Amino acid sequence: MKRTFLGEFEELVLLTVAVLEEDAYGVSVTQELEKKTGRIVGFSTVHTTLQRLEEKGYLSSRMGGATAERGGRRKRYFIVTAFGRKALREAKQVREDLWSALSPAALQLMGS
Amino acid sequence: MGRKSHTSDPRPPRWAGKLLSIFADPRAEEEIAGDLLELHAYWSKTGSRASANRRYIWNVLKLMRPFAIRKQSNDYPKTYSLTPAMIRNHFTIAIRNFFKSRGYSFINVSGLAVGMSCAILIFLAVRHETSYDLYQSRIHRIYRVETENIKENHTYPGTYTGMTNALHTDMPEVETVVPLLKFSDKTMAVGDNRFRESFIFADNNLFKTFDYQWVSGNPANALAQPNTIVLTRKYAEKYFGKTDVIGKTVRLDNKQDLTVAGVVEDYPSATSFPFDMLVSFPTLKNVNPDFDQNRWNGWNDNFQVFVLLKKGIRPEQLAGRFAAIVEKYIGKGEGEHKRFKFSHLSNIHYSGNLGGRSANVSLLKTLSFIGLLVLLIACFNFINLSTAQAFRRAKEVGIRKAIGSNRKSLVFQFLTEAALITSFAAVGAVVLSVIALPSLANALAIPLTTADLFTWETALFSAVLLVVTTLLAGVYPALRLSGMAPIWTLKSNATQQTSQWVSMRQGLVVVQFTVSLVLISCAMLINRQLDFFRHADLGFDQSAIITVGLPDNTPEKLHAFRDQLLRSPQIRDASFSFNSASAESNWMQSMEYRKGPEVVQVKTQMKMGDSHFLDTYGIKMLAGEPLKDSDTTDFKVIVNEIVLARLGITHPAQAIGERLYFGDGDQFAVIKGVAKNFNVNSLHQKIDPTIIQVVPNNYYQVGVKLQSERPNAASVQTALAHIEKAWTAAFPDQVFEYNFLDETLAQAYQSETRTAKLIEVATFFAVLIACMGLFGLATFTAEQRTKEIGVRKVLGASVASIIGLLSKDFLKLVMIAFLIASPIAWYAMSLWLQNFEFRIQIAWWMFLSAGVLMTLIAVLTVGFQSVKAARLDPVKSLRSE
Repeated sequence: MKRTFLGEFEELVLLTVAVLEEDAYGVSVTQELEKKTGRIVGFSTVHTTLQRLEEKGYLSSRMGGATAERGGRRKRYFIVTAFGRKALREAKQVREDLWSALSPAALQLMGS
Repeated sequence: MGRKSHTSDPRPPRWAGKLLSIFADPRAEEEIAGDLLELHAYWSKTGSRASANRRYIWNVLKLMRPFAIRKQSNDYPKTYSLTPAMIRNHFTIAIRNFFKSRGYSFINVSGLAVGMSCAILIFLAVRHETSYDLYQSRIHRIYRVETENIKENHTYPGTYTGMTNALHTDMPEVETVVPLLKFSDKTMAVGDNRFRESFIFADNNLFKTFDYQWVSGNPANALAQPNTIVLTRKYAEKYFGKTDVIGKTVRLDNKQDLTVAGVVEDYPSATSFPFDMLVSFPTLKNVNPDFDQNRWNGWNDNFQVFVLLKKGIRPEQLAGRFAAIVEKYIGKGEGEHKRFKFSHLSNIHYSGNLGGRSANVSLLKTLSFIGLLVLLIACFNFINLSTAQAFRRAKEVGIRKAIGSNRKSLVFQFLTEAALITSFAAVGAVVLSVIALPSLANALAIPLTTADLFTWETALFSAVLLVVTTLLAGVYPALRLSGMAPIWTLKSNATQQTSQWVSMRQGLVVVQFTVSLVLISCAMLINRQLDFFRHADLGFDQSAIITVGLPDNTPEKLHAFRDQLLRSPQIRDASFSFNSASAESNWMQSMEYRKGPEVVQVKTQMKMGDSHFLDTYGIKMLAGEPLKDSDTTDFKVIVNEIVLARLGITHPAQAIGERLYFGDGDQFAVIKGVAKNFNVNSLHQKIDPTIIQVVPNNYYQVGVKLQSERPNAASVQTALAHIEKAWTAAFPDQVFEYNFLDETLAQAYQSETRTAKLIEVATFFAVLIACMGLFGLATFTAEQRTKEIGVRKVLGASVASIIGLLSKDFLKLVMIAFLIASPIAWYAMSLWLQNFEFRIQIAWWMFLSAGVLMTLIAVLTVGFQSVKAARLDPVKSLRSE
């Protein structure tokens, strides 16, 4: 199967959804990302990314129940699909392979 | 921290939320809006409100997906129901169904044809009545001067003869002034041919104001000189047999020769100015030297003044001019009693006019309403019969739906069927209209011809009517039939229907019968009132009296004429008088009775007649002596009981010798006798206080009483021949015309007679259509319950009980209709009867008899089918299962 390219921001969003487990929706993903990365993340960017990830098949979504807050509007909850988990694992594998290919001197230079 | 945003619930700008709901991707709009609201609350908590709003707006703008909506696609392809093949199929099915149930189709088509024909005919009548004078090219500037009596709150179409000159001098805003004076019953002679005609005095301003097409002659001066006349083409041909008649003469009343100065084209039928003969106004001085052309005390509706206002002048601007005219010519302070106003040319047809025909607006309204009801009854038939037959079509609908037909295409199919039936009906309606038009035109006295039927306006109206009728009749059944659930239509025992359908059908039947019953009751009551008119005791004798006009009332001539008349054994008596004992046009005069210091004003009607007046008309005396022909000099008069009541005199004998003052207050008349009341007016009005006086120079007709009360045709012929001989001997060179008094009096009720006739016809059709519908429903019920009736008969039910079973349901509906209809009819009729001072009393049994009649008709209609069904051999009905 042809491997789909996972962008850096996409990877972050996908990971965050995985981290949040059952509670991943637009707002929680945005806030979690801001908290973890410390940079300002635009909601619209997150939303678009979530949609794109769903289109690509990494995420699936369902509508939640009606809530009393947020004007009674429902939330769209995302969960990572099996394909998404595989993509995350592959991305991690690529990084680990590259890290392990680093020479000890270079590793020391990075301060770890 | 501690800022306002904490305490109050922060809300994002509303416009941004709106923007989002319009332009966001519709599939994600809900969650985006929710998420953004939540974030906004979060941002306001952590930062300033302004920055929260800013971030909110920024995100909204970035999330707008204006083109996302278009990308939506349906999961299933659409089926198009309006393909040519489907439409062809609809027609095939419609025609098959039409011929399959021929009986019901016949009921529908004939009912709708009658209904639509009513609508078309009434449209023609209304269009004709509303199109009067609209062809005049200067219509927007033409007005009539009308005279209002403020105290009586009545506006008269005529005005003072002085108005012509007053307008010329005191109202510079008028471009032309057109005085018109109508003379009736004059003799016109060309050689030895004499005709009795009415004609108009007019001047050249008539042609500057109204449109005339000239065959020959000069519009600029045709009516400028005295003794000239302008004829229409029709009259030129009638008198001379050709139109090239300039310079020929017509002799008016054997006195004055008139020279033909022009010939104009015939007028269209929708005109308030149907004048065939126009005589120049200056001729009036030669013909009638006594006619005062500057009179300001008293007016006549035969003299009317039209004006053409200058461009840009509004009639309202001229109220001040009129007020000044009243002050100047009638007198100071007269503005309280009299007022002049302009009435636009387009309104002339709705009030009294010189053409003699005015629109009967209330009759037209009633007629339109009834026509609509007849059409509605026919539509109800269609609705009832279609929904009743629903079960026949249920399987078809079920299968169509099962193989993928949608509701819209089914609705279209059923509407096609309705349209087909309505189209057949429309063809029938045109045929019916052609047949019925002459008698309708006659009944309404509207000059309509078949040519009026074939105009583009009528075609357009018929097309609209076709569409409206189709929708009215077709929409409900189409929605009902197409709304059936396929599951129960396809079950084998799906004959029962929801109860709501039945009640709708019953409701429509009740409406049909209510309308029929109201019409029947009204027709019965109107006829009773007309009957009352015919047989009411008028206080005088109207039978066997012949009236003939008098062209000349010099005493010697009349004397000789009477002697001649009384020679015939057929003639009992003859009386010269102003008019008959009861007449349409009357002479009213104010009288004063001085009782000590008290003055009683009585507006009395003057009956001027000779000493034979009371005997000829059979008027009875209560006290005093009858009139003598010599009573002219000392003003001895006879009064009726009403006068006594007004004067406060209780006993007729006490009134003898009392004085009634008139004129400027010095002259008086002495009461010589008291007559029993008689109807001086038609029965629409109260009996006026009446004075009978001998005034020989106001004798305009002779009333001839025949010897026998009920003369046969032969004796009437002999008497008429004798009268004509005596009359021609007295008045040579005149045209002899006569009337029977009872016929003349009956004309006062012409409008009511017309209404009665039209309502009778409408009632007949309404009942006929309603009964056809009922017959259809009864047939259908009988068919549907064939098996049930078979079983009942096998179990021992009698024929009578089965007839009762089948008829009961329908009779119940007639009863309900009766309960609704009676109050409506009662109300309508009591309103109508208010037009008459003398009228019948409405009694409950009148409605009951209408109800019994309707029930009888319904029983006959339903009974035929019920008896047929009840007598059917159960072996036949139960044999096949």
